Amino acid sequence: MTRDGIALEADLLGKKYGGRARGWALRECDLALPAGRVCALVGPNGAGKSTLLALAAGLIRPTEGTIEAPARERLAYVAQDKPLHPRLTVADTLRMGRELNPGRWDDTVARRIVEGGGFSSDTLVRDLSGGQRTRVALALALGKRAELLLLDEPMADLDPLARHQLMGLLMADAAEHGTTVVMSSHILTELEGSCDHLVLLHGGKVRLEGPVDDLLAAHTLLTGPIGDLAPHTVVESRTTGRQLTALIRREGPVEGPWETSEPSLEDLLLAHLRTTEGASA
Amino acid sequence: MSTLALKGPYWVTLRQYRRTLWLAVAAVAASLAVIGGLRIWDAQTPDRHLVGGGLVPADENRGYETLRLAVESGSAYLLLVPLLVGVFVAGPLVAREFESGTYKLSLTQSVSPAAWLRAKLVSTTAVAFLTLLALMGVFRIGWSRVSDTYYLTWADRGPYEATGIVLFAYVLAAVAVGALVGQLIRRTLVAMAATGLVMGLVLLVMGSFRWSILSVKTITAPAGPTLWTPENGLVMDSGLLTASGARFDQLICWEEAARTPGTDVTEGLWGKVEAQCQARHGATTQYVDYHPESHFWPTQLIESGILLALAAVAAYAAFRVLRARHR
Repeated sequence: MTRDGIALEADLLGKKYGGRARGWALRECDLALPAGRVCALVGPNGAGKSTLLALAAGLIRPTEGTIEAPARERLAYVAQDKPLHPRLTVADTLRMGRELNPGRWDDTVARRIVEGGGFSSDTLVRDLSGGQRTRVALALALGKRAELLLLDEPMADLDPLARHQLMGLLMADAAEHGTTVVMSSHILTELEGSCDHLVLLHGGKVRLEGPVDDLLAAHTLLTGPIGDLAPHTVVESRTTGRQLTALIRREGPVEGPWETSEPSLEDLLLAHLRTTEGASA
Repeated sequence: MSTLALKGPYWVTLRQYRRTLWLAVAAVAASLAVIGGLRIWDAQTPDRHLVGGGLVPADENRGYETLRLAVESGSAYLLLVPLLVGVFVAGPLVAREFESGTYKLSLTQSVSPAAWLRAKLVSTTAVAFLTLLALMGVFRIGWSRVSDTYYLTWADRGPYEATGIVLFAYVLAAVAVGALVGQLIRRTLVAMAATGLVMGLVLLVMGSFRWSILSVKTITAPAGPTLWTPENGLVMDSGLLTASGARFDQLICWEEAARTPGTDVTEGLWGKVEAQCQARHGATTQYVDYHPESHFWPTQLIESGILLALAAVAAYAAFRVLRARHR
């Protein structure tokens, strides 16, 4: 069981895959995700995003530390490759959702998602396109009526129109039922406006975590002459001639000859992704 | 139709493998057609009456000969059933889930991983048992006509398994071994090959070991006239005894006969030399070690027990591996 109000909590979580030569996929990961949030899980390839989601789903066991997530009936997980049984039809796949989640299955939601895809429910899964498979996989996850939705790169295979439509459906559904969503993504623009919580992973460690608003408010984008930025933490700085552009994490008010502005989520993420030495939140 | 009443992971398993199910039905139907057809063909030619009473199939009855061949090879096909079941469980049923990644779907539903694996194994076992029962029934249709002829006695490999209960135990062992190997190897084809190898080895080893389980009976008689094995017995060993009751090494007299000049050209000389040699050594009694037909069921039961123990160990290990890896 998880603490009150916390949907997902990791404590010094670490995962190392078999083989002595292979390093840690995830290490010393601490996080506590409040219930009802829509959380973006970002980071470069190999940062440990999929490992964290698989650990949360209970698919693999941690090498060290603990992860507290709802019981399997109360969480849904969509893996990055959207695995489905290729020889079942779409209708049979949804029936499978009902059979494997007795007492929870919401057929109406699942059907609504599949029906937007423009394919017959008699189609075999193996004949579906990548985007159509995504739709069926999401239908299975949402039909389960879970408290925690774990989605690994859910929108990667979708065209912009379908992405917009499904994201809308997903957000509306999550808001209506108070579902906590953890979603990994490469597409930064897709996160802006839909996510209110952020976890940035890099090299198997959490580099940044917190509510998006707080994170944005804690950072400042400044431009001006080159100078000492202490006591602030510099996330990233660039100089062109005598001009300095820096993203800092403020320690108190910024005093100096600089022009300041609040960074966008994209500015913040890109700055942290570009520097391996991103400050931990 | 058959999937209507099924619930949960059982429904999923049988739905996924509908085609395999139909294949099993087709195999039963085909074997019934072959054996039934051959029995009808065989019945076209009346049996020949023996002079001393009794009936034997007529020499020109090609239906009978074909039926005999079909029963002989049919019993070999029955031995393949546990192999096929093990290979199916290890590959398509278990390893493929891990290879193709669908385990990520299956293991994150509301049913527990243990319930998921149990449903797979129980459905497979049930279908395999029913198929096996039907195939053994078909085998009996042919067997009842040709049993106790050359290569088709109660103790021959093939008929021994096909007319007893051991095949069910082999199927259980195959299901459990397949479940374990499929999880350990996680590659469809490799897991299939490995399980086929393991079960083939088990069949071979148990096939030669089974007649060492019970101790043989021995009868003795004066050397000379042919000693017929009683109780429709399976001969394990035969030879000569010396006066003290010790088993006599017949190689001694065989070598003496071989050394004697002329035994290879003069008819009857070999036998004479050998007989003289044996008499000189006091080997005047012959013996036969055999398993009487009454050993059939005890042997079947003990062999099944060993296989069930193997099945239990493998199944326990399979579920342990599953629990160790997934929450």
